[in-house]
Amino acid sequence: MGDTEQPPGVSTLNEPLVTGSLPDSSNNHSFTRIPVFSLSLPNRLILFALLFAAEWSPITRWVHKGYGGGALLQVAIAFSSLLLALGYFRSKDAFQRISNDIRKTPIRWGLLALHLVALAAFLGLSSFSSGNDLFGYAIAGLWYATGAAAIVLAGWALVPPALALDFIRTTGYAWVYALGAAILAWRAVVSTALWNGAVWNPAIDLSWKPATDLTFNLVKAMLHLCLSQVVADRATMTIGSPKFSVIILPWCAGFEGTALMLVFSVAWLAYFRREFRFPHALLLVPAGMVVIWLSNALRITALILIGVAGAPQVAEGGFHSQAGWIAFNCVALSFAILTRHMPWFASNRLGSYRTEVADTTAIHNPTAAYLTPFLAILATAMISRAASGSFEWLYPLRFVAAAAVLWFFRSKYLELDWRFGGFSVMAGCAVFGLWLGLDFLAGAHSSSALAAGLATLPSPARITWLVFRTIAAVVTVPIAEELAFRGFLIRRLTSADFESLSPRHFTYIAVLVSSVGFGLLHGDRWLAGTLAGLIYAVVFLRRGRIGDAVVAHATTNALLAARVLLGGKWDLW
Amino acid sequence: MKLLGMAVMFVAVASFANASVVPEIDPGSAGSALALLSGALLVIRASRKK
Repeated sequence: MGDTEQPPGVSTLNEPLVTGSLPDSSNNHSFTRIPVFSLSLPNRLILFALLFAAEWSPITRWVHKGYGGGALLQVAIAFSSLLLALGYFRSKDAFQRISNDIRKTPIRWGLLALHLVALAAFLGLSSFSSGNDLFGYAIAGLWYATGAAAIVLAGWALVPPALALDFIRTTGYAWVYALGAAILAWRAVVSTALWNGAVWNPAIDLSWKPATDLTFNLVKAMLHLCLSQVVADRATMTIGSPKFSVIILPWCAGFEGTALMLVFSVAWLAYFRREFRFPHALLLVPAGMVVIWLSNALRITALILIGVAGAPQVAEGGFHSQAGWIAFNCVALSFAILTRHMPWFASNRLGSYRTEVADTTAIHNPTAAYLTPFLAILATAMISRAASGSFEWLYPLRFVAAAAVLWFFRSKYLELDWRFGGFSVMAGCAVFGLWLGLDFLAGAHSSSALAAGLATLPSPARITWLVFRTIAAVVTVPIAEELAFRGFLIRRLTSADFESLSPRHFTYIAVLVSSVGFGLLHGDRWLAGTLAGLIYAVVFLRRGRIGDAVVAHATTNALLAARVLLGGKWDLW
Repeated sequence: MKLLGMAVMFVAVASFANASVVPEIDPGSAGSALALLSGALLVIRASRKK
């Protein structure tokens, strides 16, 4: 793959690293300077929400005084959300124009630093005791001022005040409606026991009992279809058969999956709003929630049937922990696929687009070749874990699935550069050392389940399992993960048209996000995973060869496998 | 990029599940489950791009 023209905001390892900017605009080229984070208004609002979410934990830990600040915050959040929604629907063109203007404006890091200073002052003032004297009023006033300053500074850092005012001006009197609705919503929350937070926990809130009962009755009805004798005690919420039964606790009655589906469906409709017909598409939100609720009842029924069939360890172990996610992924993916094929929900724009797609003789999907091997591993891992107790005896399925997908896309992979150098092997050794070092510092991980599970297998099965586990670690996993995280994600985060981008071009944010994502997939070894991801990224970008990254990764995994097999360090797997 | 943004936001929102120990949605499997969902959505959307 040859080098192509470098897009804005992109660096290579052999040139001055001016991430996010083109060469100096003073040299009379037609280049324009692009901010490091060229984000539109919706993305900046998401960033603001993420910042708020990240700071919420220290705020709730250190702030134990009210002064009515909590109510004001609730009203402010409701007001801002409503104003944005009303403003968008009232004046979409102005919203789009302002969003484009904001994209050209850099994030003001200095103001974000001041935001942190104001937040620290706010938290510090929270520790002062205050009374009904002048000092107390001064503390309360300062407390309000620093809290408000922290919010304003964060907002100002992301959205310039002039553009914010411009947006409010274009919305006319929407702010009046938004403020009125926000105050009404706040009063409704305060006066309604169901919503006021103190009774949110479904375990102690009897108002949720009908919903839990619904799940109980659904499971009971489904069990009657499959079992001749059903045990169902509504007082203790125990259900099953005389041989195997479970208790349906309030927090596994479907609330979590329904909440996740609510977030997913609303976010999906909001992000791809131009592809949907409103208000028709809004019906999809409750429909998705009902389906996930039903799937949870199906999950509990299947769990009981697995237990009744003689595999209680599987039912209470892997199936119990994986089935919820499997159900959610199935429902969410079906939602994303099916809703685009239902004319009653889809906008005309999508309909004409679909016709264009149908006219093409072959659908081009380069993303599939890079991501599918990794997704095959993840999907089979979920299934094999769900079918296991404490030991994942179906692990070889992961290898088989990844190998099959790699074989399917083999012609695509022949276009990639699989050459590698000695530097890759050295980098792989370095990651191995880093991995062991951080593991040593973090303390021992539990290894009893794997060792105990292997001990129960007969020798041929144990050897077969270990052979597949080792080959997967050294061959299919490095190829699949490097294709996904280095070959795809770094380039996709750098440019939407990632295939036309040279493998050596990148942005720092792309490298960072792909490495952190890679790290997070390694659970409690997330730090080692993130650092490993960064090293593999450097190896990949150094010459733009996927082979370098794969060999580095395979070297690390081979050394770890040797440590496991020869040294008995099962916790490394 | 929209989908990537949504994936990041969704992971952030779903990460709140890590705060509670509940059996319906296992927080220990959140990373791989959400990676699978995000990746599958990326593949589905990409097939319609050209």
